[in-house]
Amino acid sequence: MTSIQERYRARRIYEITPGNEAVGLRLNDRVVELGKQEFDWYGKVAAWLPSVRGLADLSGDLGMDEARVPKFIEALEKAGLLYRLDETPRTLTGLEFHQRFSSVLGSWLSEAFAHPFWERMMSGKGSARLFTGWLIELYHYTKNANRHMPLSCAYGHEKPIKQLRAKHYAEEWNHYHYFMKSLKALSFTEPQIADSVPLPMTLALSNFMRQAAREDILAYSICSAVLEGTTTDRKTYNPYYEKSAELYGIPKAAVAPIYAHLDLDVQYQHSDLFHEILEKVPSLSAERASRVLDYGHQLVEHIWLWTDNIEKYYQVESNPMPRAPFDALLD
Amino acid sequence: MTTTRDLPMLKRSATVAKHNGHVVIRHLDEEVTLEGAAAQLFSKMQPQLDGTATLDAIAGKLSEKPARLRALAEQLASVGVVAFLSAKDDAALMTGLQFYDLHKDRSQYWLRDVYAHPLWEKIVTGKASRAQVIGFAFEKYHYIEGAFEHMGIAAANASPEMMPHLARHFIEEYTHGDIYRKGLRSLFPDDLVLRSQPLPSTRALVNYLSESAQRSSFAYYAGNEVLQMTENTSDEKAGSAVDEFYAAMRKHYPYTDKLIDSFIAHTKADQKLGHADAFLHMCGSVPPLSRREVNDALNVAKNMAEHLLLFMDGIDTFYGAFATVPRLPCDPLSE
Repeated sequence: MTSIQERYRARRIYEITPGNEAVGLRLNDRVVELGKQEFDWYGKVAAWLPSVRGLADLSGDLGMDEARVPKFIEALEKAGLLYRLDETPRTLTGLEFHQRFSSVLGSWLSEAFAHPFWERMMSGKGSARLFTGWLIELYHYTKNANRHMPLSCAYGHEKPIKQLRAKHYAEEWNHYHYFMKSLKALSFTEPQIADSVPLPMTLALSNFMRQAAREDILAYSICSAVLEGTTTDRKTYNPYYEKSAELYGIPKAAVAPIYAHLDLDVQYQHSDLFHEILEKVPSLSAERASRVLDYGHQLVEHIWLWTDNIEKYYQVESNPMPRAPFDALLD
Repeated sequence: MTTTRDLPMLKRSATVAKHNGHVVIRHLDEEVTLEGAAAQLFSKMQPQLDGTATLDAIAGKLSEKPARLRALAEQLASVGVVAFLSAKDDAALMTGLQFYDLHKDRSQYWLRDVYAHPLWEKIVTGKASRAQVIGFAFEKYHYIEGAFEHMGIAAANASPEMMPHLARHFIEEYTHGDIYRKGLRSLFPDDLVLRSQPLPSTRALVNYLSESAQRSSFAYYAGNEVLQMTENTSDEKAGSAVDEFYAAMRKHYPYTDKLIDSFIAHTKADQKLGHADAFLHMCGSVPPLSRREVNDALNVAKNMAEHLLLFMDGIDTFYGAFATVPRLPCDPLSE
């Protein structure tokens, strides 16, 4: 590994917008425009940085004299596309960490909900079946909170944080009833839903939360905060429900319980919980801060793949809905 | 009195198609075609085959002779498309070796979608992107390295009968991730390979096994065996299909040469250990299983097949949409 490779990493790009003359790269805090040639070079640098290839290889890839390569790398750093690892703060206070989290949450959520499913549903290319399937999985996901929320209390070490997590659990544990109510309004019976099994990615979400709960209460809390971030105000979720109801004939009685649930979350101010927790953390090492952030971002990726799994399964008309558990005699 | 052969039910996963007076019933790989009087009688009785009514009651409702209905229902039961329900079923026991055969039969069926996944074709024809191909190698590494987690948890929580098997399996497998790591080191620094993040879909697979391992040794291994079935290529036909896959991958993606060497080294290591027979030995040593235990273990196996499909989907779809590879963990400046 060269010293450049040891020193630099590429920052996360949230969106790439190709134009006629230039390409726009959206970072969390800015949009960087690169000419087509520079964009091509940037791609080669980003692929080379985490590799075992030497400087001469990169120089050859770029068609650039070896002596000029470090200057180009520095230019990418100045533009914000690369960062230096040695500039990572050694410690952060809990509130400094929260500030970083808050500044990136919007970008993370845009990534989580960038799956084409949402555009499909909003443009009328979805179906009542897809809406219903998504609702069934949301029921399972919400019910499965009972598999991870209490675990985060059990594995926590700091009493004040454990208490906050326990209070959150007490307020949330039975919210799956809202989704049951919605599904009943769509003509399902309670046993049909209660005895059904979730899709693998729905189960994966709760298993990942269990993993986070065992690893670090802050890792768990950032995942919870990302999820709560999706319900901070009605503007973020109303259009989807209203449009789906209109396009796919979803009865009002099926949507009303979902609104009631989301309003309750807002009323409880669950989106502020992560701030309250981090107020009680005097300091995080760079390693812990990185690990916690990483859990948050992995949760974002889970949401994306969860959506993908829901779309792929429920778009097939012959797939059972809801999914009964396998029985050797009956199946 | 209701007997065990009194509550007929068309299997839930059976599909029925009717055309030109014929009735075609499909269930797993079986296909039964009924013609003439049998087709007519089946069409008449089909709505009643929900496992809630006795044959006598159905006969009364349809004004048919019970013996006629019984003959057809029993014929359909003999080919596996109809089941007869009874409260006694809950107490019925199945030996481990009977379970082994049932598990093998069903798992092969459930794995069909995994073998038919479009990612294989994309790699063989050179249509997969660099991120998808290298991502495939990384995810295989993470999934094999996950043995530390699920096999460790399984051994630590093993039932007395399963403990020697699960201990041996962990001890034989825990170094296998390093075989894949060796291949990845031809392209990426070791430290980055070790710190790289699996996709959520790969994490899902490892976590599901770990969660199953904590609560039931036997159900866990019934799930793990589904993975083993895809790795053991001692069967000549399957082995040659795998060889062709690797040859095509080398041709289209020459930079994966060392990665493919590592895949092959791992397959050979597994074959040498005789893992293909591990589950058979386990099934031979467990006490008879209740219906509940059978269903639990088969649900884990089915879920594993679905998780494997998710594993393939993750590589195909996620690396298709987000081409960054290796997937490095976040730090305070990366975002």
